[in-house]
This record gives sequence, structure tokens and C-alpha cells, in this order.
Amino acid sequence: MRAVNRSSWPVWVGGLIAFTGLMVWYRLPQLSLSPAFTTGYILFGLIVFLALYSGRKRLSMLPVGKASVWLTLHLVGGLLALAIFWIHVRTIWPAGAIDQALAALFYGVCLSGVIGYGLQLWLPGRLAHAGREIIYERVPTEVASIRRQVEKAVLEAAGESGNDTLGNDYLQTMAWYFARPRFFWSHVFGGRRAENWMQRHLETIGRYLTDAERKHLTRIAELGAEKRRVDVQYALQGLLKRWTIFHVPLAAAMLGLAVWHLILVHVFAR
Amino acid sequence: MSVATPTMNRPHRWDVPFDSDMSDADVESLMSIPEIANVHAELFPAHIPLRGILRNDARLVSFQPGDIVCREGDYGNSAFLILSGAVRVAPGLPRELLGRQPVHKKGLFEALSQLWTNPRIPEVRDTERYRNIRTQSRGESGAATRIFLQDVPAVLDPTRTVTLPAGQIFGELAALGRVPRSATVFAATETRLLEIRWQGLREMRRYDPGWKRHIDENYRRNALRGVLQANPLFAGLTANDLQAVADQVKFRTYGSFDWHVSYKEMRERGVADEEPIIAAEGLVPDGIYLIRAGFARVSVRYGSAQRTLAYLGAGDQFGLDDTYESWITRKPSRRQNSLSGLGYVDVLRVPSQVLEKYVFPHLPAPPKRAPPVDRPIHDDAFAEWLVDERLINGTQMMLIDLDRCVRCDDCVKACASTHGGNPRFIRHGRTFDHWMVANACMHCRDPVCMIGCPTGAIHRHETAGVVVINDDTCIGCGTCANSCPYDNIRLVEIANPSGAPVVDDEGRPIVKATKCDLCVQQLGGPACARACPHDALRRVNASVLVEHEATTATGTRRP
Repeated sequence: MRAVNRSSWPVWVGGLIAFTGLMVWYRLPQLSLSPAFTTGYILFGLIVFLALYSGRKRLSMLPVGKASVWLTLHLVGGLLALAIFWIHVRTIWPAGAIDQALAALFYGVCLSGVIGYGLQLWLPGRLAHAGREIIYERVPTEVASIRRQVEKAVLEAAGESGNDTLGNDYLQTMAWYFARPRFFWSHVFGGRRAENWMQRHLETIGRYLTDAERKHLTRIAELGAEKRRVDVQYALQGLLKRWTIFHVPLAAAMLGLAVWHLILVHVFAR
Repeated sequence: MSVATPTMNRPHRWDVPFDSDMSDADVESLMSIPEIANVHAELFPAHIPLRGILRNDARLVSFQPGDIVCREGDYGNSAFLILSGAVRVAPGLPRELLGRQPVHKKGLFEALSQLWTNPRIPEVRDTERYRNIRTQSRGESGAATRIFLQDVPAVLDPTRTVTLPAGQIFGELAALGRVPRSATVFAATETRLLEIRWQGLREMRRYDPGWKRHIDENYRRNALRGVLQANPLFAGLTANDLQAVADQVKFRTYGSFDWHVSYKEMRERGVADEEPIIAAEGLVPDGIYLIRAGFARVSVRYGSAQRTLAYLGAGDQFGLDDTYESWITRKPSRRQNSLSGLGYVDVLRVPSQVLEKYVFPHLPAPPKRAPPVDRPIHDDAFAEWLVDERLINGTQMMLIDLDRCVRCDDCVKACASTHGGNPRFIRHGRTFDHWMVANACMHCRDPVCMIGCPTGAIHRHETAGVVVINDDTCIGCGTCANSCPYDNIRLVEIANPSGAPVVDDEGRPIVKATKCDLCVQQLGGPACARACPHDALRRVNASVLVEHEATTATGTRRP
């Protein structure tokens, strides 16, 4: 089955707005308006519009348009804001402490937004094919369940063989792995550290075990692989949830500073 | 600060009768009419006595000539016994004559006010309201508000209407089969009816052999006429020819009416459901098969198993091209595909000789059989999976493209914000490749969740067609949740407006069944789909998906 086509009309609308903006900019000298004021207000209006996307998420009960359209407009508007920002300040990096702080926040918001959108394009496909779909909030429960099964296997191995080799090894090494999600960044970048760690460890302990204990070690290996799939979900979903921790507060701070900037400009323009 | 735990009586069946105005005198009067007097009351169990059914699951309603009793297309939950007068059954009346009412939607301010009126604690209910409801008169079809047909002779085609006299039962097709009303029924004279909601009708059919025989005969006769009249194959037949066809049609039912029970058991055991063969590949065509209710699979032998080519639902037919080819070429041919039942399926077989006599001579050649399946089996895997999992039942399946879903849960938050702070689905479910069918009510074509609801709280919305739960009459028995083959109904413990959990006299929590209502009262449709920033979530009709996915080389078509 084919995926849904993304709506393309917001791109056209964005292009039209950009074209209109450039025409206004071109005609500004004839309109006797200050270019800095005009572009500044356009930029501020655009930033406010971009901030409304967050409000859309809280107004699901109203017919205010599909969130996917809002997101597309948010992306197009963000790129447009970057272009207008450069036209407004006429440089990459402005002078003055407040302007530099504002520029830093603006770039931070842009950068976090681009990274976040990149993650949204990159990670869902990997999550879909990671072997098991788990709701993020259920990961601790899943890990605890796997850990209980591992500990049960360890106890059964001890009971059947009369040896504490596997039990000691669990306490010394394996318990660390099964205690909580591990190898976060390796999973994010698609590395195989977790798989290699488990494999190496199983081989190391395996030579000291009896046949009866190895049967349980095989079960522990299966549970280790299951734990790895849970860890992948935890890492990738965690990253998808965490990038907004940077984007949203930076955007809020930028909006506040932009208001302050606006006040200062009007005060000193007199 | 301690909060006193509120208590209330545990709800029971018949707490909310169909009509609280029904009196013992009414019941005694009904007991004297032949259709009720002949019922073997002694066969009913002590906890569901016949008098109890009449008192609580039935009501008396009167109509003036021209008053519409029930409308074609409505999802009714009751049947009618004509006590006096007569009614006329009229299929195919124009919609505008039937006074269709729009679905009540929240106003803009009402919708927006959910921002501040949603309680901080989920599943808060005004328990006082429940107490008030039990003292009110109840009725599903709004007896006080009637719609009537004006200028009856002008709007009716006399050849397509039937008059039913006193003593007849109608409406049981929709009530028991969980299908929309197949025709409009209006009062021909001053008419008095006994309206029995389907829970009561089910008990009458279950415990009294006479009613069972009567209902089944009506069911077969009315189903047959309705299906034949609606099928273009028979549209050109005269009334006599149509009757001749109807007389020779074979009526068969495959699988269990409660198919979901065995299906759930088999899923738990991890084995495939058994499918009864209706028409086998390789045999001589013996006519066409019309699906009246339920689902069937069209398949072809592939390797050591059956490969699905299509699935058929109510209104579909099978075997026309094979049968027609056999007749036109005068050579015996063999069926190219098999037809098997998926759960419960009602099938009508129109025999070859009937078709050859009445239909084929006037029928243009049906579409030629499509070429054999020549594409990789992997292309059909998704459709095959949908059929295997019985997800074909869904008309509003929540399908999530996991390649796009960023797991932001905006869909869940949107659902919660439009349903009092608690979502009505779980963003989790069965997956195939990168597709997930989430645990959200699919508003099934065959909503088995409605089987067994003792109060009729779960029902089809009369106009929107979605399956909804009336919170006021839900007693939290869990029958619907247990019946749902897809685990899409949840029982929630309720709290009063101050946040304290509501319990009964014995301290047990009062629960209510909840599920997706497709935002039937919200503006703009399902909030979940609108809230998805990546268009990963869609509400889709499974049959549309399968039609896209499966090959058309089946000799089937939708009339």
C-alpha cells in the first residue's frame, strides 16, 4: 500500500507569500516606509504565526484545520523567517548585546527545528522496523518484566544445577544490562554495541556452565535480544520526544526578547 | 482533607425500562392477544420472565395514517408487532421525504469550552443525572416526534409496497441482524404497535419455539425480497417473475451468529479460524451467491493453501461469470475460485436453472473474467492479513503509518481533550510491516459488541451510523467489551464531580464502558486524524483498502 501524499498547497502558498514579500521589499522606497521597520514587523508577525502552531495542538476540539497543514506552514514559515531575518539585519551576525542574544536565540530555534524535523523524517522508519512497537511510557514496565524473566531463569539454573556460576555472573555483570535501558547513543546511531556486548558476555560465561545451565543461558540470550529491541524503542522515541525540550523554550525566549527588541526600537527611534 | 466516598445502587438490567409508562395492566392486556398468549411462558427462566420482557423491553405506540414508523437506512434496535390497524412497507422512498435530521454537533463555543470545563480527573460523571434518568420515560425512536408522508399515493410505487395486517411482525431484520432498515414503514391506518427492543426480541426468540419459527420465517422471506429487489440483476423482473425467483432461492447460514466468541478463543490459542466452504473451486457452477450479512472470502488454490483474491460483504455476489459462461457456451465449466465463510455469513443461492430461465436471457454479458493472478503474493500480503485478522469488519479503522508516525501522541491528547480528559483509544495494536491498526473502535459493519447488551446502551447512531454508547443507560456489565473481537472497548471507573470514585453499597467501583465515538458530537470530525501533524493516522474503511490491494480476478462485483 502506498503512503499518503503530503499536501503540497502550503508550499505554493508559502511561495506566494515570499514572492509578495519580495515585491513589497522592492517597492518599499516608493512607499516611503522604513525597510527595517517593515521587515521587522513582517518578521515579528511571522514569528507569532509560527508560535501559533503550539496553540493549534491545544485546540483539537475546534475545526481549525489539520495539524499536518499547520506543520507544513510552520516549516515554510520558518524558512521564510530565516530569509526575512537576514534581510532585516543585513548581516549574518548583528552588533550589540541584545541583538546578538536575539540572533543567537533565533539561530538556536532554527537549528533545533531543522534537527527536530530531520529526526522526524529519519527515526520513524527505523522504529517501525525495529522489531517491536512499544508505547514509550510502558518501557519501564517492559524492562521490569524482562528482568523478572531473566532472574527466574537464573534461579532455575541454580536450582537445577546446584551451581551459582550463572547467579554470580548475573549479579556481577548482567544485572547492569537488564536494570534499565542501555546503550542509548549506540541505538540512536544504529550501532551494534549492545548486541556485541551481549554476545561477548554470553561467550565468556558460557564456557564455565554445565549443559543444564546453558539451556537457561539460551533463554537469557533471547531475553537479552528482546531487551535490546525495547532499548531501541526507548532511545529513538526518547530522542523524538526530547528535541522539543530545546526548541519550544528557545522559541518562547526568542519571542519574549523580540517583544523587548520592538519596544527598544520604538523608544530609541523617536 | 478526607472526601466522603459517594455510593449508589449497582445498576441492573431493567433499571431503565424501554418505556416507564408500561403498566401491569398493559402487560395483562398483551397477555391476552393470540401472538403473546400462545407463547410458552413456562419456558422462560425465572430471572427473565415473559411478563418482565413485556414490562421492560417493550412499549405500546400508536400511529396515525401516514406516520412513519421506521425509515429505510436507520439502524434500528427494535421490532414491531402490529396489534391493530395495518402498515405499509415501502422501499426506496426519497430521503427528503423521510425527514432526515442532521447529527447534533457541538457549537463553536461549546466545543471551545472543553478547554476549561474538562475535569482534571478523568471519567467524572454527574451521578445525580443517573438517578434522574431512571425516573424518566424512555424511548429510542422518539415517539412524541413523528414524521409523516404527505400525498401517499403520489410518492408510492404500488408494485413495490406491501401491506402488513394485524398480527404481523416487522423490523426484526434490522433488530437481530444489526443491519440498517431495508425499507420505510408507515401507518396505513390508525395503528397500534407493540415495539420490542432487540434484547427482548432475542429472549422471545430464544425461549419460545413458536416465536423462533415465526421470526425465522419472516427473516428469510423479508431478507430474500429485500436482497432481490435491491440487486440490479433482478431489477427488470416483473412481480410474478421476482416471486418465482424468490420461491426457488436457497437460504443458507454459515458460522455462528456469535462468531466473535470462537474467533477470540482461536486467537488466544494462536490458530486460524475455521472457514466453512460455501462454493468450492473446481466444481460445476450451481448458481450465484448473494451475501446478505457477514463476510466471505474468495480464494484460489495456490501452492498448498488458499490465496485470498477478495472478500465479500453484505450486498456482494459471487459466481456470476462462471455460471453465465456455462450457460452461454452450453459447455459445463468449473468454478475458478472458492467462496468460504468468515465467521457468520448469511448467503442466498440463486440456482443456475432459475437464472437461465428468468435472468440470463435479458442480461448483457457480465464483465469477462479477469486474467489469472500473476503478481507476487507479497503484493497481496497486507490485504490477506486484514482478512485473516477479520479487520475487514471495520468501516472506520484507525490505520497508522509507522514510517511516518513520530510517536508524539498528539492523536491521544486530541482524543482526551475532546472526551472529558481521557482518550477513547490506545495508540497500540496489531501491526503488519509498517502499518498499525490501533485499538480504536472501528465502527464495524457487523458490530458484534451490540450482541448481548442488556439495556441497549451500545447502539448505532440513528443518522451517523457510528456505534456509540449511551452513558446514561450503560450498566457497566462489560458484555460489549468482552464481545468486541478487537479489544477496543474499555471499562472505566467513574468519579463524581469532586473527584471521589463512585462505588456501590458493597464498596465496589461503578464502571462504564467507553470507546471511540468518532467525535460524532465534535466539530470537524475525528480529532485524532486532524491532530496528526504528519498525516500518519487515518480512519479508513477496510473494504476500500482491500479493494485497492486485492486483485479483481475473482468473478465478483458489487451490484
